[in-house]
Amino acid sequence: MHEYPEIDALARRPLMLMQHEDLPDPLNPRHILFLDTETTGLGGGAGTVAFEIGVGRITSQGFAVTQYVMRDYPEERFMLEKVRQQILDSEVLCTFNGRTFDIPLLRTRFLMNRINADCLDLPHIDLLPISRRIYKLRLSQCRLSRIESEVLGISRPNDLPGSEAPERFFRFLKTGEFSLLEEVLAHNEQDVASMLLLLSHLCAQYTRPEQISFQEDLFSMGAALEKEHHTRESRRVYRLVPSGRLHSPSQLRLAASHRRDGQAERAKEIYLDMIARKEGGVEPYIAMAKYYEHKEGNPALALEMTRKALILLAEPSLLDSSTVQDTRNALQYRYDRLQKRLTKKGI
Amino acid sequence: MNVDQLADVLRNDEDFMQNVVRWEELPAQEARYAAFPPQLDPRLIPVLEKRGIHSLYTHQAHAVREILDGHDVVVVTPTASGKTMCYNLPILSEILRNPDTRALYLFPTKALSADQVNELYDLIQLSGADIKTYTYDGDTPGAARKAVRQAGHIVVTNPDMLHSGILPHHTKWVKLFENLKYIVIDEIHTYRGVFGSNLANVLRRLIRLCDFYGSHPQFILCSATIANPKELAETLTGRSIELIDDNGAPMGKRHFVFYNPPVINEQLGIRKGAMGEVRNISGMLLKNGIQAITFARSRLVVEVLTRYLKDMVRDPLGNAGRVRGYRGGYLPTTRHEIERGLREGRVDAVISTNALELGIDIGALDACVLCGYPGTIASAWQQAGRAGRRKASSIVFFVANSSALDQYIVAHPDYFLHRSPENALLNPDNIYILLSHFKCAAYELPFEDGDAFGNAPSPDMLMEYLTDSNILRHVGGRYHWMADDFPASSLSLRSAAEENFAIIDITDPARHKVVGEMDRFTVPMLLHENAIYMHEGMQYQVEKLDFDACKAFIRQVDVGYYTDADLNISLSLLDIEEEVNNPSGLSRALGEIKVSALVTMFKKIRFDTHENLGFGHVRLPETDMHTSAMWWKLPDDLCASFDNDQLKDGMLGIANLLRIVSPLYLMCSPQDICVVYQVKSPITDKPTLIIYDNYPGGVGLAQKAYSMQRLLLEKCLEIVTGCGCPHGCPSCVGPVGEVGLDGKQTAILILKDMLSRSDL
Repeated sequence: MHEYPEIDALARRPLMLMQHEDLPDPLNPRHILFLDTETTGLGGGAGTVAFEIGVGRITSQGFAVTQYVMRDYPEERFMLEKVRQQILDSEVLCTFNGRTFDIPLLRTRFLMNRINADCLDLPHIDLLPISRRIYKLRLSQCRLSRIESEVLGISRPNDLPGSEAPERFFRFLKTGEFSLLEEVLAHNEQDVASMLLLLSHLCAQYTRPEQISFQEDLFSMGAALEKEHHTRESRRVYRLVPSGRLHSPSQLRLAASHRRDGQAERAKEIYLDMIARKEGGVEPYIAMAKYYEHKEGNPALALEMTRKALILLAEPSLLDSSTVQDTRNALQYRYDRLQKRLTKKGI
Repeated sequence: MNVDQLADVLRNDEDFMQNVVRWEELPAQEARYAAFPPQLDPRLIPVLEKRGIHSLYTHQAHAVREILDGHDVVVVTPTASGKTMCYNLPILSEILRNPDTRALYLFPTKALSADQVNELYDLIQLSGADIKTYTYDGDTPGAARKAVRQAGHIVVTNPDMLHSGILPHHTKWVKLFENLKYIVIDEIHTYRGVFGSNLANVLRRLIRLCDFYGSHPQFILCSATIANPKELAETLTGRSIELIDDNGAPMGKRHFVFYNPPVINEQLGIRKGAMGEVRNISGMLLKNGIQAITFARSRLVVEVLTRYLKDMVRDPLGNAGRVRGYRGGYLPTTRHEIERGLREGRVDAVISTNALELGIDIGALDACVLCGYPGTIASAWQQAGRAGRRKASSIVFFVANSSALDQYIVAHPDYFLHRSPENALLNPDNIYILLSHFKCAAYELPFEDGDAFGNAPSPDMLMEYLTDSNILRHVGGRYHWMADDFPASSLSLRSAAEENFAIIDITDPARHKVVGEMDRFTVPMLLHENAIYMHEGMQYQVEKLDFDACKAFIRQVDVGYYTDADLNISLSLLDIEEEVNNPSGLSRALGEIKVSALVTMFKKIRFDTHENLGFGHVRLPETDMHTSAMWWKLPDDLCASFDNDQLKDGMLGIANLLRIVSPLYLMCSPQDICVVYQVKSPITDKPTLIIYDNYPGGVGLAQKAYSMQRLLLEKCLEIVTGCGCPHGCPSCVGPVGEVGLDGKQTAILILKDMLSRSDL
């Protein structure tokens, strides 16, 4: 049994914010089946077998992990039948990278054993893409072990690397020494347990983003919400990004989001604020130039903004790359065009 | 001018006719038609009529009937005889009747599959039926793959993709496997030797999975003219197959002209080069508006000829789009554009390597020029078959080069005209190949006690062997895969490394563009630094060859020469596995050798005059291949009875005999093995005859040769003594021009002596 502090955060609302698959409503967290397999290889073809399948679910006593191991190939079918029953008793599957690995692999195993695989079509929360969206910027890679240490604060001092599991199983088959599998089982149990921790933690973060302490995670969450069209939530998160490296990108995205919804005034406030704080480089100037020209019909102010942007670009910079060159050309073009328009008007 | 008029003009041209050693006319053949067979779904008939097809040729009708009656067939069809109808019609008919029906089309190359799919699309579109045809190969984008797996009625792929992309992942293809009714394999004549043996085993795996899913597909195979299409089809599939070869397609009259370039130096017997003569002949065809294809034996000759012909027709802007080169290494889009240009008549002349020998649809042309003999009768006929209108006459020129083989063919036109084309041989039970595929099969689906693997001999022994090697686990009557690897990934069906170099044009510094690609083996020859690389008749100089990144950077130039690199092949000994060393007997051994190919220098050759302008050095790493080999070290006392030249000619003769005999008994294609002779071999230090596998790592051919060495030598002797030629011909020791007057006799003496050694 495992106990978890954030388990109360586990709810349908935040889950629907972090992924787009429809989930049962109401959602009983006890009907989520956490699943992880240990396999004879990573090939993913018809000859790769899951020799161990761990499933976890929340019970009144805590989090219960059940592990099914086949002691030899003829037991595979029996093991799969058991797992199938577990899945049939659940409403949602939760895995880490299950969408591309565990579930297709199980589908293959069911098929090879001529067992109906329809149960695998259950709604599925795959934690890998969700975590990637939130933690990739900070952690650069999102293996479960890395998330455990950097996000959940779990350390696994004597963990068996997952890649050694096949070899352990083959040796067990040859020798019958069950102790060879003990570390595999421990590894798998921790994987399943970490999934619940991670899912609860994600739910807590989505519910109370103000408690997120890393600006990278906040910014990433804002972007993820925006991508899934949770506009209101994404703006709330962007606003939470503290001053620092990611503040201006957040502000720019926030402003763009308002502009897309036709809230030009809200966007203007943000851009002007950025200009006042000398933040975001030329982009707020360009945005304001467009705003003055097209919204307020004030080419003079637009020209002024363009001029300031050009001055900003004229300052020597280490990043004088081709994109900067392109921006400068575009600004110059805008500048000339506005000026022409103004002179014409003057005549 | 049409072909018949041109033929008349040429026959009256004394200068031309002086060099013609034979002018053969193959008579026209009338079309033979048959009504639409009653088995064909009637909904297809209006579709065909929309395309102007009101009846079928006899062989098409025959094929449709047999296929819809449920028989496995092999259709033998010359070029442009409406081959694809033979399988498309019955399959569309069956899908119309039962929309669950699935079919799998296999073509040897990606280029061919793309071509055939287009033709199929047309038919389907006209029928208005919802029949989905998809190509599934390395180019299929990941996002589209799911749709192909789920919904494709007809899946078009190649053996390599079937082997590594479909069979190991069969559970993702349930729909296909459960409903697979037809397996179409086109161009089966290309599946000979090791490639064919690999395919035969891929098919064993495919059929085994079909059994698992409860489907029983039929085979429909197509072959170009070879000596043994039925036997080849039956060996590939392990089934007895109906042969359909009553070609009913019409064919206009064909002129076959054997042309030998004139002697320019009587004393030395030197002839004019074939390339110059081909330039004149192809140029004449071009000037007279006769659409023609010219086949050359190397990419270099293709490019040089392309340039010559382009120069003849350049417009004031320098464009010469009517003349195109065609070879492997052009980008697929370029190739498709050329193919379309040929079909639509916008291209009048194409100069190609054997890349256009296969059934890529370029329509029928008026004329064909063979610049040199392509090496086998079958491929010469394939190339010649590119010319041949259904109604009008066509003409084929064979222009001999100065090699002994070409000179023999041109001196004995009947050898070519009346000898049956080569057999295509393969051996699916080659233990190396069989075992590799058996592993793949075991991975795909566990074997059960008593299971067969197609008609492979003793599968139970293979199962036991793999169990003993801890790759399979025998438990509960089944053999389960027990290894952490993916066997299909370590097995390539073809010998050549697939890795290609990109050729990048950097003439415009702002716009680098990829103009083509080339396989690793050819790169040192054509893309070494300072090489003049020719592409579609344009000249480029190679500025930099980045061997590690697989890139060659070229810049456009205009110089009056081209370059030709020298390739040196050397053999060295790695390991001896088995050896019999007997001073009085015949010493022989089996072992591993390293075959190194190294380009060290290149020549600069002036256009038009072909004079040598100088040399350049090439600094490139060797290309190595480790493979297995067997060799005979000739006894000292035997060698002492000949002078050096005699010995050399005799050994050359035996090597040629072994090249003819070995594929027959090793059941492989001539390209699968190499036979070399060395008067002072670095392996043995003595005169030595060597047979080695032309595959990295070897595929067991040398071992097999070692185990049947007496038989091989006996057969060599039988052939050479039974051959009616006086001093040698390509069917025995090789043409007299190569082996000399005594070569045949010396070869016989050496062979007799080798066989007489008591311990062999």
